[in-house]
Amino acid sequence: MLRFIVRRTLQLIPTLGGLSILLFIWLQRLPGGPEYALLPDDATDEQRAQLRRALGLDEPLTVQYVRFLRNILQGDLGTSLQTGQPVMEEFFTRFPATFELSVTAILIAVAVGIPLGYLAARRRGGILDFAAVGGSLLGICTPVFFLAFILKVVFAERLGLFPSAFRLSPGLSRTDLSGFVILDGLRTGELDVVWDALMHLVLPGLALASIPLAVIVRMTRASVLEVLDEDYVRTANAKGLYRRTVRGRHVLRNAMLPVVTAIGLLTGSLFAGAVLTESVFAFPGVGSFVYAATQTRDYPVLTGFILLIATMYVLINLLVDISYSLLDPRVRAQ
Amino acid sequence: MFTKTSRKPAALLAAAVSVMLLATACAESERDPEGDSSAPFVFGSAGDIKSLDPFLASDGETFRYSRQVYETLLEHESGGSEIVGGLAETWEQSEDGTEWTFHLREGVVFHDGDELTAEVVCANFDRWHNLSGAWQSSNNSYYWQAIFGGFAENEDEGLPESRYVSCEATDELTAVITISEYSSIFPGGFSLAAFGILSPTSLETIAEAEITGEEGSYTLPEYTREPGAIAGTGPFTAQAWNRDQAEVTLQRFDDYWGEPAGFETMILRAIPDETARRQALEAGDIHGYDLVAPADVEPLTEAGFQVPTRDVFNVLYLAFQQETSEELADIRVRQALAHAVDRQRIVDTILPAGGEVATQFHPNTLDGWSENVTTYDYDPEKAEELLAEAGQEDLTLDFCYPTEVTRPYMPAPRDIFDVISQDLESVGVTVEPKSFEWTEYVPNTDSGECSLYLLGWTGDYNDAYNFLGTWFSVKNDAWGMDEPELFDAMAEASSNPDTEERIAAYQGLNEQIMEILPGLPISSSPPSIVFAENVNPPNVSPLTQEDFSEGSWKE
Repeated sequence: MLRFIVRRTLQLIPTLGGLSILLFIWLQRLPGGPEYALLPDDATDEQRAQLRRALGLDEPLTVQYVRFLRNILQGDLGTSLQTGQPVMEEFFTRFPATFELSVTAILIAVAVGIPLGYLAARRRGGILDFAAVGGSLLGICTPVFFLAFILKVVFAERLGLFPSAFRLSPGLSRTDLSGFVILDGLRTGELDVVWDALMHLVLPGLALASIPLAVIVRMTRASVLEVLDEDYVRTANAKGLYRRTVRGRHVLRNAMLPVVTAIGLLTGSLFAGAVLTESVFAFPGVGSFVYAATQTRDYPVLTGFILLIATMYVLINLLVDISYSLLDPRVRAQ
Repeated sequence: MFTKTSRKPAALLAAAVSVMLLATACAESERDPEGDSSAPFVFGSAGDIKSLDPFLASDGETFRYSRQVYETLLEHESGGSEIVGGLAETWEQSEDGTEWTFHLREGVVFHDGDELTAEVVCANFDRWHNLSGAWQSSNNSYYWQAIFGGFAENEDEGLPESRYVSCEATDELTAVITISEYSSIFPGGFSLAAFGILSPTSLETIAEAEITGEEGSYTLPEYTREPGAIAGTGPFTAQAWNRDQAEVTLQRFDDYWGEPAGFETMILRAIPDETARRQALEAGDIHGYDLVAPADVEPLTEAGFQVPTRDVFNVLYLAFQQETSEELADIRVRQALAHAVDRQRIVDTILPAGGEVATQFHPNTLDGWSENVTTYDYDPEKAEELLAEAGQEDLTLDFCYPTEVTRPYMPAPRDIFDVISQDLESVGVTVEPKSFEWTEYVPNTDSGECSLYLLGWTGDYNDAYNFLGTWFSVKNDAWGMDEPELFDAMAEASSNPDTEERIAAYQGLNEQIMEILPGLPISSSPPSIVFAENVNPPNVSPLTQEDFSEGSWKE
């Protein structure tokens, strides 16, 4: 088992190495080069040339790549051109917002998706099943930003039930302990802050939850249907066990294994999906920051974000592989 | 069991309804500032600010913030582009334009209680002039370099010699700034937001501040993130900068020398997405925003919002690159193209209301604009004749336009491109379209990759050189035009300290340029800003330098 984990972990090195080369090539191929990103549009040719020299862009590619790699390995993702602060620090400042939003989305997706998928499978062919399958198809097909707009127009603008933007109402004073507003609010007893933050999470949370929710409904339904047909369920039923015991202990627990794995992967994708949702709701997380970076050609931020997302996917994949191997010994033998 | 489950939905429904009611109550109380003059005025800006010290910035959002908190020696008049006194009530220039005497206002105090004196002004200018190390990178002192050239001791050979010589406090309230040579960027240069005057205590606090890191990866010093670390004299003080919320909170400064701010609290909130800004306004989460899309102006006005129009201060043009396409080196071909384009149609169908056809390379709100320039009316027949005369009936030209971008002077680039292409095709010119994303577009057009392309400019300060000089002061790859006489005349005009003579020279230059016809000026159009109905908005500025202290809540 240990050997499998070590071998699988070592495989990360060429993957991440390849990723770093791709990123480096991307940076090299940037239109106009960083001197266009760093200086205003009306800078002179001499100013740009001076900056190129200062950035070492006239050195051989290999030298530049080694420097790029060394910086990454030291956790130095460069400095944001928007803010003049280290990219890493900027990400950490904004991460709590994105985390709260992603957790909200995944909670909504799980809390609604699993029961709905389960009920749809139990009442296969019924109205609820039809609605759940159709609804989830619609959920997968609807672009997140479109859904976000609809939610905003209906619930924020027309009905005025929820705020249309931001993470907290402007000017609301709060004690900042960790950057996590809900946790901080609970710890300091500032319940108005907690309430305000929750209200601000509803619409973006729903929008961001739409795709994972749809995926979870479909996976749960398919998985439950499969398990319902298994021999051991029939045996359990035949033995005369309580239906509740059969459903809970045999059906749901077994059906949940692939769903839980999927939830892991979906959580990873939420961070990438947050870019659109956050920008639509002006939610000040990593996603909005990255969106603003695309507008201002803030290449260090974009590079850092791609690197973080890619690394996160690679690591989650590793964890999934390892957990599979724990559950199913056949994987290890391969 | 049945009774249990039947109760659950009812309980859930009750909970949901009470949550919604509470939410509505909460939302109402947040959004209705009427009757509460202390409610914060929230303005949606397109991006977060970069630094609390404007000297280190070169972006509009930081300058929007710093114009409320710091003041400069000179300013532009409220709602206009004429230069008027700021911290200096009056000023004079010596005959040769190298000595500028500023008579400061009396009784001006900084947010930290310090008093404004001529010595303080000089200390600020001397500090900028003596900056060293990473401060000398164009990343960190872009506007100082653009206006004053280099530093006391240049550390990079590429830096020009400093144009700043000295600043002397001849008495308590008189500062004399000497520069080595006159340039028409003065007095406009003294009004740039980057040169906001800081208090002596602030200067002491930041005397040792350092910029760390290396070129392209600088980390700004701590004080640039701490509200209150540096004090200005503006109508607002910086109270908080929540970087995790991208929110800057400004508080009215009660000891302000001028009219006190109408809003007690003002908040700048970054909303990078244009549509999100509009929706936040419509939902009542913000009370105004800038960079309104032209297509949104009418719907917003109809919905009861105030969308004041700024005076026009920009130009959109179609460039004729004379090196990339040799055919364009023939003046007859350039004239033919100019006659072929129906600019009025672009103004009428694509630009926001208030736009107009441009006859020269700067807006008519700027001194130096000439009535006597050669004009090129829409005349397709004449265009065909000229092409025939030049032997270019089968002319093929590549034509570049940017995608995924709108600029204040160029909304909907693709639509503008379409109209011009149709016009050119109809006189027999074959157009090869080339599109680029903005990030690629600017470098490509700058390096002369495109024969025809669309570009423009919004002015920084009130001098024709800010437009004409940017384009036509030297031979560059963007135009591929080599007219030494024009370049010399431009240099001469910009170094003439006599304002009247200079304006006459610019008029002559405009006439000369439109004879040469390096490109076709297309239009000048007004960029819009929007405010909620319950706001008395500040005067809007053609230079987008609104003073928000002029705004207030409607009674």
